[in-house]
Amino acid sequence: MDALGPRFERFLAAVEPDRAGRVIACEAITGGYSRISARALVRWRGGAEETFILRGDPPPGSGVFTSDRDAEWDLLTALSAATSIATPAARWYDRSGEYLGSKAIVMDCVAAVSLQDEMARAARVDTGAGPLADLFVDTFAQVHQTPLDLLPARMPRPPDGPAYLDGVLAGYDRMAGKYPSSAPVLRYVSWWARAHQPPPVPLGLVHGDCQPSNVLVGPSGPPLVIDWEFGHIGDPREDLGYYTQIPLQPNVYWADPERFLGRYRAATGLTEEQVNPRVVDYFLIIGMAALLEQLLVAAAAIGAAERPGILASYLINAISHQHDMFLAICDRLS
Amino acid sequence: MITRPTTDVLIEDCCRELTEAILPGLTDETLKLRLVMTETVLRNAAVRAAHEIAWMREETTALLDYAGRVAARHGSEALRAALAEVGPTDSLHLADVADRYERAGQAFTAALAAAQEAGDADLVAEARELLRDRIATEKEVMATYEVVGR
Repeated sequence: MDALGPRFERFLAAVEPDRAGRVIACEAITGGYSRISARALVRWRGGAEETFILRGDPPPGSGVFTSDRDAEWDLLTALSAATSIATPAARWYDRSGEYLGSKAIVMDCVAAVSLQDEMARAARVDTGAGPLADLFVDTFAQVHQTPLDLLPARMPRPPDGPAYLDGVLAGYDRMAGKYPSSAPVLRYVSWWARAHQPPPVPLGLVHGDCQPSNVLVGPSGPPLVIDWEFGHIGDPREDLGYYTQIPLQPNVYWADPERFLGRYRAATGLTEEQVNPRVVDYFLIIGMAALLEQLLVAAAAIGAAERPGILASYLINAISHQHDMFLAICDRLS
Repeated sequence: MITRPTTDVLIEDCCRELTEAILPGLTDETLKLRLVMTETVLRNAAVRAAHEIAWMREETTALLDYAGRVAARHGSEALRAALAEVGPTDSLHLADVADRYERAGQAFTAALAAAQEAGDADLVAEARELLRDRIATEKEVMATYEVVGR
């Protein structure tokens, strides 16, 4: 048990003072690029045991991807209180980091596996990932149709779809002004994207890291959607575009784009003009904007006194990869 | 100075040390992942060390040539200012070459904006070709990059 275990025990004493929780085991969970996660087994007075996931910020100045833990907590609690989107129960929040070393959310650890793993297993045994692909589509179609008035009041709300897109593209121009190595590509892409805007759709809740790895499925109950740190109100097609670049196999969009999008249209009521492979291609550019900016910020910090860690250097390749993808999209859709 | 092994060969030797001698001895999964990432960064750095000054100088020439031609046809104050910022230099020190390359990139960006504003499809298409060459170089650096740790 590393040093986090005793700290978590002190936190439990503060939030559940009558239950005398003891941390029996606590181990880091590897994988993921943004938050620090750990799994902790707790035994309460009376012998009942529960397992929790602790999800906290990396130390200040380290890491590449940053997000607002307060906003994530607010979104998680709003989703579970007022919507039909299922998430693992968010139990407590160390809002100041006083106990756990950084702001950290404590959630139930559920008996479920990632939908990505299930898809891979289905592909291995040759049963096909079709029904699982449908589940994935339906889950995110439901996310995208979340009534916006149920979401936390502090979530930024763009006036409408076109204004939102304008804001994202202005963000690319801002990045171009700040990061000279990317400026030529970003200026070209933002100019092109302004001239090729697809028909608008209503704004929706965007997950921001839409992939089957962020959906947990168990033997019963609805799929659970996790990792909401990049959740925001925007154009829901961002999530579709974002998923197209996820390299984990199988990628059920690329397995059958028409089936994937047909099901999504049926679930959301959007038209073929609004959602088709070309539009999804376009929205890869929109859906990657926030992450690209974080990659550029991290790359610029390499060599500074507060180094962002090896991940920033490693992900310089991801910047090049995005340049390549974006220009290829401009070529394909021109 | 000792010229051989060259910098890229030295870095590649470090990569072999990391993957063949150190990685098998690690048991901590997080450390293993960080070592794999480190080895990838070093492998990319070896490619850059071998070629980056030549690549940047060649592209700088092409970018400035483009910006000059756009300036002649659709001159804008922003483009003229960006071109004036580039300045001549014969220095082959990496920081100087990188600095000039970035300034040339800014001049190119201003030229692209001028061509786009003027609706000059031929010049915009030419810019796209230059960006294609830039991406080809970036892909050469990426080598066999694969996403790990997700």
